Amino acid sequence: MTDPVLRRALGLRTVVSTSAGLAFAAIEYLAAAGLVAYVAGDSAWIAVATAGLLALVAWGCFGELNGMFPTAAAIRLYMKRSMDDRVALIITFTYLTTIVLVVAADAFIVGSAIAHVWGQSTWVAGPVIAVLLGAAVASNLRGVKVAGGVQDIATYLVLATTTVVAVTALVRSHRALRFPLSPLHGHTPGDFLEAVALGVFLFSAFEWVTTSAEEVRRPPDIHRGMLIALGVLVLVCSLITVAMSHVLDHHQLVSAYPQLFLGHAAFGPAGLWLMAVITAATAVNTFNGGFITASRFIYATAREGSLPPLLARLNDRAVPWVPVVGLGAISLIVSLVVAATGSWAVLVAVGAALEAMIYAVAAFCTVRLRTRLPDQPRPFGLPAPRLVGVAGVVVFGGLAVTASVSVSNHFNLVPLVVIAVGAGLACLYVLVVLPRVQAAEEARRAARGRRRPPRPPVEAPAPAPAAERPGPT
Amino acid sequence: MADRAEIVEAYADWRTRCNDNERLRRMLRGWDRVVHLVATDTGDRFTVVVADQRLAALADGAEAVADLVVTATSEDFADLFWGDLNPSEKYMSGEITLAGAQEDVMRLDAMSMVAFLDQ
Repeated sequence: MTDPVLRRALGLRTVVSTSAGLAFAAIEYLAAAGLVAYVAGDSAWIAVATAGLLALVAWGCFGELNGMFPTAAAIRLYMKRSMDDRVALIITFTYLTTIVLVVAADAFIVGSAIAHVWGQSTWVAGPVIAVLLGAAVASNLRGVKVAGGVQDIATYLVLATTTVVAVTALVRSHRALRFPLSPLHGHTPGDFLEAVALGVFLFSAFEWVTTSAEEVRRPPDIHRGMLIALGVLVLVCSLITVAMSHVLDHHQLVSAYPQLFLGHAAFGPAGLWLMAVITAATAVNTFNGGFITASRFIYATAREGSLPPLLARLNDRAVPWVPVVGLGAISLIVSLVVAATGSWAVLVAVGAALEAMIYAVAAFCTVRLRTRLPDQPRPFGLPAPRLVGVAGVVVFGGLAVTASVSVSNHFNLVPLVVIAVGAGLACLYVLVVLPRVQAAEEARRAARGRRRPPRPPVEAPAPAPAAERPGPT
Repeated sequence: MADRAEIVEAYADWRTRCNDNERLRRMLRGWDRVVHLVATDTGDRFTVVVADQRLAALADGAEAVADLVVTATSEDFADLFWGDLNPSEKYMSGEITLAGAQEDVMRLDAMSMVAFLDQ
């Protein structure tokens, strides 16, 4: 008997583009520009490369966990088996916040970039954001999904164009690099640590590709693809940060669209428009991947009985419309608040802290499951799992704390407060509301009863008649 | 352990419910797919074909290429087709495994939900 063959399956190229594309959202440009504030001169690439090395630990953990649980539900499975399910749900719901933040941030950045290239004042960004998110929600409700081929083209176009723009801007500056190897010149080790925390955020969401584990042609393509994507991201992000630190002034670096100024430095007004188009292209992956990943996960969690059944309602195109509309509405509110307050640096800090937190959780699960499920097959194993895994928990935990108390190189508790409020709401739901949701689901099931007909009882063989029993001889 | 006949009987009931459900038929518009079912305990394999918004009769074996492969125990298949089992719950606990595109997985789960819960 041969294994079934899938008609459609994803290859390595699409795995790489999905992983890199989900990570390379428009907020990448703002995070790269923000990172420059923490290190001296043109040595930001060292913080990015250090973060890339740390991301390798996360890659090893996600690779091992994905091999053990090659399913879109993997995060639920490995967390459930590693810790109390209520804790797992609280962490999972808090982590979902990252997706909302990235979608909201992308809408804000694309809206601001479009308003800028049109020469309009910043308030125009608001309606543009509303239109963008409205279009994303509408296309999701209609079941439109960007095909793998289109996603490949969009991702590789964004990465290649950004690289060309960064290199051209550096070359055209006609100035030698300043302090390319001295990140601490005029800065403290604490600054460098915060730069690394922001650097980790540059790779955030590269692991979301593990939710495609059921769609790949060859399962090892997932961890190979993530590794290649990390390599590409280190290269491109290093170039952007060095180019931005070298070419842009402080005013441009702290703007909501530093990538447009970088494009202008490389190719003049044409470069500005080019980077506006590229910024919009990043939204293809973010809106497509973000909305689909988050809404389907919420749907599955509601179907599992861990969220209210309302969130599992489907429209006639089999799209869970309540999560899609809800995500769109929350993203719109967050992005409009950010547009009104100009507090995108807080958004970046919250995202960086949450991403570091989930990496720490993945490292913890990897170590814990080595003890709890020692015999489960691991097609890919993290090298020296206990040492590297424990180091991952400590380092990413430390980075999460660091990122949550700093905004733009200043001590600031707002990111921590935002995360605490999100985690508090998740706690409240899991400890107070969830038991009621589960009880209601149990009652509904009991009322429905079982439909499957009972099996007829197996008849015992009739005893032989006494007359026919063989007598003693 | 459910034998072949039990799974075939359960599927026949599910098929009737699905094909008689107007809302579900709207949801299946344009979704022509081949789904393979693999029972882990008995080794039985079946093929479900969805075409023109209708489910065809359960076919023995799983020879052609599939859009979606569902792997579960024979008991789970029988319970699923009778509507006594929530496939998402089993999927989220790792007892049912799938291979295929996420939107196809969603559509299959939607069939089981709409056919029995009409949500």
